[in-house]
Amino acid sequence: MTVRGQLTRRNLVLAAVVVVLLALPSLATAFFVNFVMTQTLILGLAAATIVFLAKYAGMTSLAQFLLFGVAGFMFGNAALEAGARGLNLGWDAWAAVGFAIVVTTVVAFVLGAIASRTTGIYFLMLTLVYAVIGYFVFAQIVEISGPGGITSIQRPELLGPPVRLYYAGLLLSVLAYLGFRSLGRTAFGLALQGVRDDPIRMASLGFNVALHRTLAFTLAGFVVGLGGLLNVWWNGQIDPASISIGPTLILLIIAVIGGISSFEGAWLGAFVYVLVFTYLRDLPLIDRIGITEARFNTVIGVIVLAIMVLSPEGLTGIIHRLRGRLERPAAAAADTSTGGPLPLRKTEKEFGGTRP
Amino acid sequence: MAHTSAAQSEPSGSAPVIEVRMVTVAFGGLLALRGVDLDIMPGERLAVIGPNGAGKSTLFNVIAGDIAPTAGKVAVKGQDCTYRPSRHRPRLGVARTYQKARTFDGLTVRDNIYLALAGHARRHRALWRSSVDARMRSTAANVAETVWLAGQLDHPAGQLAHGQKRQLELGMAIATGPDVMLLDEPASGLSRGERERLIEVLESLAPEVTLLLIEHDMDVAFRIAQRVVVMADGETVTAGSPAQVQKDTNVHRIYLGTEATA
Ligand SMILES: Nc1ncnc2c1ncn2[C@@H]1O[C@H](COP(=O)(O)OP(=O)(O)O)[C@@H](O)[C@H]1O
Ligand SMILES: [Mg+2]
Repeated sequence: MTVRGQLTRRNLVLAAVVVVLLALPSLATAFFVNFVMTQTLILGLAAATIVFLAKYAGMTSLAQFLLFGVAGFMFGNAALEAGARGLNLGWDAWAAVGFAIVVTTVVAFVLGAIASRTTGIYFLMLTLVYAVIGYFVFAQIVEISGPGGITSIQRPELLGPPVRLYYAGLLLSVLAYLGFRSLGRTAFGLALQGVRDDPIRMASLGFNVALHRTLAFTLAGFVVGLGGLLNVWWNGQIDPASISIGPTLILLIIAVIGGISSFEGAWLGAFVYVLVFTYLRDLPLIDRIGITEARFNTVIGVIVLAIMVLSPEGLTGIIHRLRGRLERPAAAAADTSTGGPLPLRKTEKEFGGTRP
Repeated sequence: MAHTSAAQSEPSGSAPVIEVRMVTVAFGGLLALRGVDLDIMPGERLAVIGPNGAGKSTLFNVIAGDIAPTAGKVAVKGQDCTYRPSRHRPRLGVARTYQKARTFDGLTVRDNIYLALAGHARRHRALWRSSVDARMRSTAANVAETVWLAGQLDHPAGQLAHGQKRQLELGMAIATGPDVMLLDEPASGLSRGERERLIEVLESLAPEVTLLLIEHDMDVAFRIAQRVVVMADGETVTAGSPAQVQKDTNVHRIYLGTEATA
């Protein structure tokens, strides 16, 4: 693709967003950066793996949060010294990172291989079963989850200051975003989209459909494992309750809020979710109208409902439609002088994932 | 049975490229195929005709590996393929289309054809864009031209008209230069002009390409085929040259009779 082809308005906006995010630590409060934004990047990274599987392979996975937790638990077990909870292997932090990523990826491969012959609602149910079983595995085998969770988890020295963790989240998010987006144009990415559209046809063209689904799930597991590491470093601890069904569904909700077929939507959805959970309690009179902390999930539920009714494509869909409405009159006015509404159509096509 | 032997082709010395032996397919209590025997010689142009529900598509599905027969045997180029899944067929040079066009609607015409090429070249899992891929994408453009879709190269397949989708399916089948093509009702729903183009493409195939065609349109079937097999109720009823089959009163009774009640 040409350089000009990359210079779409969407890419320019995204580049501007990244620039702002890079400068954010000197623009915003430490709380906003290290609490709100780091959490947004971590959850966005995890939700992006749901989007990846749904958008390219047509697989809606509820197992991503489990894999997220597997990476966290494995790091905790490997990195902590004797005397702490868990296995206390006492490894070097980076060896523990490698261990956590390898275990998470292998688990993803096995779970993906088992689920690879199912599609649609059956795949969703199977991954829900994974999430439930995974929760019980960690809740009941206290040797690997430490009674009541693994606490006092230190991050590698390189990521010591909180702002470095923020930048690590930003780096991984940008890499995952660019990687997932360009994957759509590779042989593997196109094959996945073929599997999504018509697996029977793909098989008769010579493709191993189950293997493609398995590899997609493995790749998503690898990426969500990276997110899980950031998460356990950010939290400093992990316990089985943090990977129970509630958080699992919240990750799916984040993906749905943003728009299940849009990668940028994953981070947008995470941002909205974190904002609501962080600042809702501070709104004036919020408890007077009956919204207490215990009822935040209801608020999130109402927001999700509203977004889904307004736009099945989530927030990205809403933004996209607003932009279309704003630009159409302008484009029509420009029709006489320039090439007309062509640029708009081009960006619309990109959002559909059908960019040539 | 006497009529099954009629389905054998005239001996031509070489071995058949496809052998179907006593194939039976049961869907629950329904027998879609009842002991079908069929030999197809290399380079043969064979049309399979018969009323709806005769089992023609089921026969294709068995040959192409989309369904395994309940009983019987299928061999492609001498290799037993009875229980080999469909994804092994392209390697044997077999390509097919479906009665109801199966295209990848979220992908462009170019990418649809690219996938046909990539599946055949067994380049499935590359995570980078290679020169091989680039070549396959330009081959895809040539194929699109052959099936009159050059103008739609970068359109999503989901936005194509019905006839164009059929052309795309045909393009995906011919893209890899297969030795054996199975086309399930390629002319159905096409306009007269599109039908003429289809015949033109089929007539331009290299003579060594084996072509199996399910066709309701007698005009297309009889113009392309050297041999016609008539199926009814899961059995092959008659086989012969187009002229022989057209004269066959038995065929008229079965085929037209059922048509009339349908
Ligand atoms: N997957 C299937 N499940 C159940 N019945 C089927 C299936 N496919 C075909 N049939 C039945 O098998 C018979 C033959 O179908 P088919 O091979 O599609 O006929 P044709 O292509 O000659 O019109 C029909 O009665 C059809 O309803
Ligand atoms: Mg049929």
